[in-house]
Amino acid sequence: MWRAGQAPPLQTLRVAGRTWRFLRTRWRVTDRGGWHNLARTRTTKKLAQRIDLNYFKRPTLLKRAKFWLSVAVPLLAVVWIAWHGFSRDSSVYSSGRMSGAHAVLEAECAACHVQTAGTFSAKASDTACLSCHDGPMHHAAKMDAGDCATCHAEHRGRMSLIAARNESCAQCHGDLKTSNGATRFAAHIESFEDGHPEFAALRSNGAVAASDPGTIRVNHAIHMKPIRRGPNGPNVQLACGDCHQAAAASAKWNYADAAYTTATTSYTDLDEVLALQADAFHRSKPMSGRELVAPVKFAYACAGCHSLAFDKRFSEGVPHDKPEVAHAFLVKKFGEYISAHPAEVRVMRDPGRDLTGKPLAPEVRVLTPTQWVTERTAEAEELLWRKTCKQCHALKVGDRQDHLPSVEPARTTVKWMPHAKFDHNAHRGFSCESCHQKALTSTETSEVLLPGIATCKACHAPGPEHAESRCFECHTYHDWSKRKEVIPTFTLPALRKTGN
Amino acid sequence: MVEITIDGQPALVPAGTSVFDAARMNGTPIPTLCHLQNETPVGVCRLCVVDTGARVLTASCVRPVEPGMKVVTNSEKVLNARKTLLELLMADHPSPCARQENSGDCELETLARAAGVTQPRFAKRTVSRGKDDSSLAIAVDHDACILCDRCIRGCDEIKNNFVLGRMGKGYSAGIAFDLNAPMGDSTCISCGECMVSCPTGALTNKTVAGTSIAAGPDTQGFEAEELLQLPVFKGVSGTFLELNRGAIVKRRFRPGEIICREGEFGSTAFYLLEGKARVSLSAPIAHVKTQGGAKGLFKKLTSTLAARDADVRDDEARDRTIPIDASVDLAYGNPVAELGPGDLFGEMTCMNFYPRSATVIAETEVVAFEMLRNVLDIMMKNKSFRAQIDQNYRRRALENHLRGVPMFADLSPDFIEHLKRSVELQRYAPGQVIARQGDAARSFYLVRIGFVKISETYPGGELVLAYLSRGDYFGEIGLLGGGVRTATCTALDHVEVVRISGDDFRDMVERFPSVREGLEAVAAERAAQNQQRMQTVRSVPIDQFLSQGLMEAQSLLILDLENCTRCDACVNACADAHDGVTRLVREGLRFEQYLVATSCRQCRDPLCMVGCPVGSIRRRNSLEVIIEDWCIGCGLCARNCPYGNINLHPFDVMVEDLERPGRKKAMVKQKATSCDLCTHLKEPSCVYACPHDAAHRVDPRTFFSEMLGGGTAK
Amino acid sequence: MRIDKTQRGWAITSLILVAVFTAIYVVYAVHAPEGPRGGSDLGLTFGVIGFGFMLFAALLGARKRVPTWRIGRAQAWMRGHLWLGLLSLPVILFHGGFHFGGTLTRVLMWLLIITVVSGVFGAALQHYVPRVMTTDVKLETIYDEIGNVQKLLREEADRGVETICGPLGIGKSANEEVQRAGGFSAARPMVTSSGGAAVAAETVVLSEEECAPLRKFYLSEMRPFLEQPKMRGSRLSDADKAHGAFTGLQTLMPEAAQATVQDLEDICDEARQLVRQEQLHHLLHGWLLVHIPISLALILLGAVHAVMALRY
Repeated sequence: MWRAGQAPPLQTLRVAGRTWRFLRTRWRVTDRGGWHNLARTRTTKKLAQRIDLNYFKRPTLLKRAKFWLSVAVPLLAVVWIAWHGFSRDSSVYSSGRMSGAHAVLEAECAACHVQTAGTFSAKASDTACLSCHDGPMHHAAKMDAGDCATCHAEHRGRMSLIAARNESCAQCHGDLKTSNGATRFAAHIESFEDGHPEFAALRSNGAVAASDPGTIRVNHAIHMKPIRRGPNGPNVQLACGDCHQAAAASAKWNYADAAYTTATTSYTDLDEVLALQADAFHRSKPMSGRELVAPVKFAYACAGCHSLAFDKRFSEGVPHDKPEVAHAFLVKKFGEYISAHPAEVRVMRDPGRDLTGKPLAPEVRVLTPTQWVTERTAEAEELLWRKTCKQCHALKVGDRQDHLPSVEPARTTVKWMPHAKFDHNAHRGFSCESCHQKALTSTETSEVLLPGIATCKACHAPGPEHAESRCFECHTYHDWSKRKEVIPTFTLPALRKTGN
Repeated sequence: MVEITIDGQPALVPAGTSVFDAARMNGTPIPTLCHLQNETPVGVCRLCVVDTGARVLTASCVRPVEPGMKVVTNSEKVLNARKTLLELLMADHPSPCARQENSGDCELETLARAAGVTQPRFAKRTVSRGKDDSSLAIAVDHDACILCDRCIRGCDEIKNNFVLGRMGKGYSAGIAFDLNAPMGDSTCISCGECMVSCPTGALTNKTVAGTSIAAGPDTQGFEAEELLQLPVFKGVSGTFLELNRGAIVKRRFRPGEIICREGEFGSTAFYLLEGKARVSLSAPIAHVKTQGGAKGLFKKLTSTLAARDADVRDDEARDRTIPIDASVDLAYGNPVAELGPGDLFGEMTCMNFYPRSATVIAETEVVAFEMLRNVLDIMMKNKSFRAQIDQNYRRRALENHLRGVPMFADLSPDFIEHLKRSVELQRYAPGQVIARQGDAARSFYLVRIGFVKISETYPGGELVLAYLSRGDYFGEIGLLGGGVRTATCTALDHVEVVRISGDDFRDMVERFPSVREGLEAVAAERAAQNQQRMQTVRSVPIDQFLSQGLMEAQSLLILDLENCTRCDACVNACADAHDGVTRLVREGLRFEQYLVATSCRQCRDPLCMVGCPVGSIRRRNSLEVIIEDWCIGCGLCARNCPYGNINLHPFDVMVEDLERPGRKKAMVKQKATSCDLCTHLKEPSCVYACPHDAAHRVDPRTFFSEMLGGGTAK
Repeated sequence: MRIDKTQRGWAITSLILVAVFTAIYVVYAVHAPEGPRGGSDLGLTFGVIGFGFMLFAALLGARKRVPTWRIGRAQAWMRGHLWLGLLSLPVILFHGGFHFGGTLTRVLMWLLIITVVSGVFGAALQHYVPRVMTTDVKLETIYDEIGNVQKLLREEADRGVETICGPLGIGKSANEEVQRAGGFSAARPMVTSSGGAAVAAETVVLSEEECAPLRKFYLSEMRPFLEQPKMRGSRLSDADKAHGAFTGLQTLMPEAAQATVQDLEDICDEARQLVRQEQLHHLLHGWLLVHIPISLALILLGAVHAVMALRY
């Protein structure tokens, strides 16, 4: 095309110091002077010219998918929520499953979540709880421990509502403040293992050590060793249960003496114990009556060995009763005897008494029956007041006008831990000595044989391999003595139908 | 002298004359198709065959006379041969071809009719050879081509462009441009020589084939004699005009008719003979302003057209005239002027194919010549025409241009008058150097038309400082005398400059010392700038990265492809900031792991500036390329940018309806836009909006030299 | 986005925040009367903080829609989204005391986990895949325009083959009016070599027999491949096999056609790379199809939960 020897028309451009010769076409000169189709070389302008300036405004599959999914998925979510709204099913908003006791209300939100009039809020307030339950306050001078939910957390799954965490109690007891300054209770209890003091019964009060206020003298150590003189022969080994039994126990008393069971007893504490028991606890397990051990009664535990014999002439002993009753009994008994044996009025001198070297009295005395009774009664009472009764009781002779002794009240402690509940029945698997070890060596009544907190802590500690050690296991928050009955408002069918 | 016999008549002709010429000289015209007087005869059409008594008929255009030759031009044998030839040619000819339709003078059809060829016996070719519509000025209809070779010779011999050639063989032979590229893609410069040479309608002037020149009731062709009557055509070769009939037409315009519209591409110039025309800019004088965002949290960034007072740009040219392609410039405040008889407009469009710079509407009844480049070229070489043009320029535009030079702003009127008289108008061809760096400076120049490249060479390369167009000036150093040129000034296309000689000037300066102070200040500033530039440029290794032209750039938008997740946030931000049309495209060539995005590079050699018909694209502060508010949206800068960084931004505006004056109509006007670095905000929006730290605007010199660990770039 | 040392500031701050929150939570959890609960004061605080983080993270989408508003750099928002979003998971776990609670809260917890995990996965993808894309796809273009570019490649290949083989009888598509970059739409209608001017006369370089192998190969293998580059089965889908095919073709074709065959190979290579780009792009952006909808549902349901939990 180009005639030989003639240069093709070229446009000259100086670009960056070099002279480029450009044809205003898409062809360019190669090094060898030939022509090369420039269609495959890439320049910025050619690349840019392939592009439609509005490409980014056009929808692509990706953009459309993104858009429609972004519409569809949230819409789905909204529809789901609206569905629940329309079917009045608020259970979707529940923050967890209900406890076992309230499982029946799983879908019945309105049972507790009552909408406050005029507002949107529908919190579960104490009013809702109190419509079925009564929860009397802790104690009279209480500080507000918060609403029910502070300690009883619902929506935590199938657990026990009573199982409040230690922290709930520690809210106050962690740093106990009272309205009038000092308190007789330990002030910094966080949990059983952290801050819980020794049991009050075992705590020394200043310099005075804790002691059993009981006046009946008991030496447990002797009783726990083999007894040389038992009713059924020598070397009787007593077991704890021979004297101590649960309140409702119906087991046979091994060392009971039927003669004494009918005697009137001086204390009615047992009844009080039983009475207390009925209302004192509020526990999920039914009362068995075996929670507390009954106070020891002479008739059932002691009479078998400790006879109240007073005279060789009689096999029976005096009734285990007040001194007046015993005195009357003695008089009556001696009276009946001398009436039955009138010849006995002639009292022979006891030859044993001659050894003193004093002038001897006449060998035989003849008394009137009344004198005889009086003499014999005095002798018997001498034995009783100075030995038999005194062996256990604290009595004093000579204080009273009628010359009868005054007997200290027994002051046997019925409930060693008035602020906690201990269930012997739950611990029936253990032998008594395993906890009450002190009994084996206790010689004095004043020794408190209640096991210390350390004994309990051996098993009751935090952690799954231990027994429950949270506060509620032994203590109760609510003062159930002030419990009021709540009139129930729900009927089951209505609950099922209307609750939402 | 040789003696021959033509048709029985003796003739005496110089030796070496062709038979054809001999016959012509003796009054016997022989029909030809492939022969033109001003081209080397080739003898391919065989229509000029005559009987010279040889064994076969001779092609008279190539056969030189021999003594005693007996030439018979009209024997039956010859006539039959011609007729058959014509019949054969007509068989393939798409009769009536474009030329026949428009001007009725398709040589082939005329000859065929004269020879009595009506319906050819031969079957038409089945496969069309196609049309080529790609050229702006010339329509190619290969079916009408008779392969007469005239166009090829015209392009080669007359115009020396060497674009046309033949291709193929036999049935598939045809003419081709370059290596069979579409004409518009070829190196063809639309001089029209081929078209003028073509005997048929194979190559026709597009506007000929379309609407304007030579078509329509208001246009008339004319005889060459008519033209020669006019004083401006005094001295123009009649033959030339004869041969270039069709390349110049007289047109009549009614009052209110639009002669040309701004932004259109064209290839003709208009010379007003009678009447008055109004030249104006109908594009809104406003630049693309991106606003909002920076003020207040919720204001959206929008691109609007903002008038100058609404959006002040600090160093915007104030009180400037808008240079257009006519003998007068438009004042900024009121861009309307009047053209009268003797005014030439469209010179740049015609000579250099730049888009039309303004809209011209006839005010009264207007008679104008519309001419193609080949005619204008000749006219400009013609003394009387030139004189006319010069006079007009001096009268109407020169003073404005002179006053546009800051140093001359305060000159007294009689000084200006003197200058106007003493200046010289000089023309330069494309590529010609006007002033060379290092030469003694003797003159001061103002540009009247065309583009001048001002560049500096230094060790390692060349830096283009500016492209100057109409109304700009250069060479002020020369006015001081004794100075040395600091830059080379080259004409990029057909340039005409106004030259003020230094000697002349210095004499006058004696009278106005203030001018001297101004000059010296300018000279000192120039010297300082050059110094600084030399320093920075020298310290950078220029010869790297030339293949992508990266070092050409002063600011590149690069996307770190290892961070970029191709999320288009940058593009969205740019579009958001610019009324929905992005100025950045995430496509381009890579360098290492960086993608050099298609976004204005603020080139050192801003090729976009070349050719702006209204001179609205310029540099600011040596970095940012901005487009002034009178951009007419022709799109030339977009085509020139080698990286495709300039796009055209359409705006819906209400403009005056030119066809119905006094009314407005909605139009889509385009304004050229390119990345403006979001200068009204602290940071470019694309960089601001990239969530992955992938978009950066960097200075390539520092960035790349750091990357490669070379050179201490300061 | 790479998780590199520029993220240090955020990472360290987040770490400190997590440590502080953990310390507070541990102390609180140990001392709370009934255990850590969402409704307790500290639980609520955690819930608010966590939801606040989630809301900020969700606002990233909105921020991206107003990229030019000067309300903080997109980069800062992105990093905030990443780190604070990540932090929302432990904070919400602290809020709930590590219990998943009832139906709604269980769903929410799972949505949060899915969101955060998918987000971390996405961050990992964004760390690795861009580099893979950059090295694997040298001739990358814009994803949205891949279809168009593939079409241009087809046309280019058609032109290349037609130049030496003559017309193939494949219809040419009209150039639709789009605004192309480079200002081309304005200046004049884009003159491609396939539209506008028809080839004046076929410049047949090769004869019928000479270009038969190319024709056959092109029509039976390459053009179908270029039309559906993603479909398996074509040997041109694999780089090595394609190279083998073209090398074979080179031996069958005369010297004059070598350049064209080389160009065709390059075109195939580019088409393959674009397919790979599409795959990687889907990977890089596909995870958002999970992350975004789930996170929106999370915010919605979270708001519902906040309202309802405070109600009850």
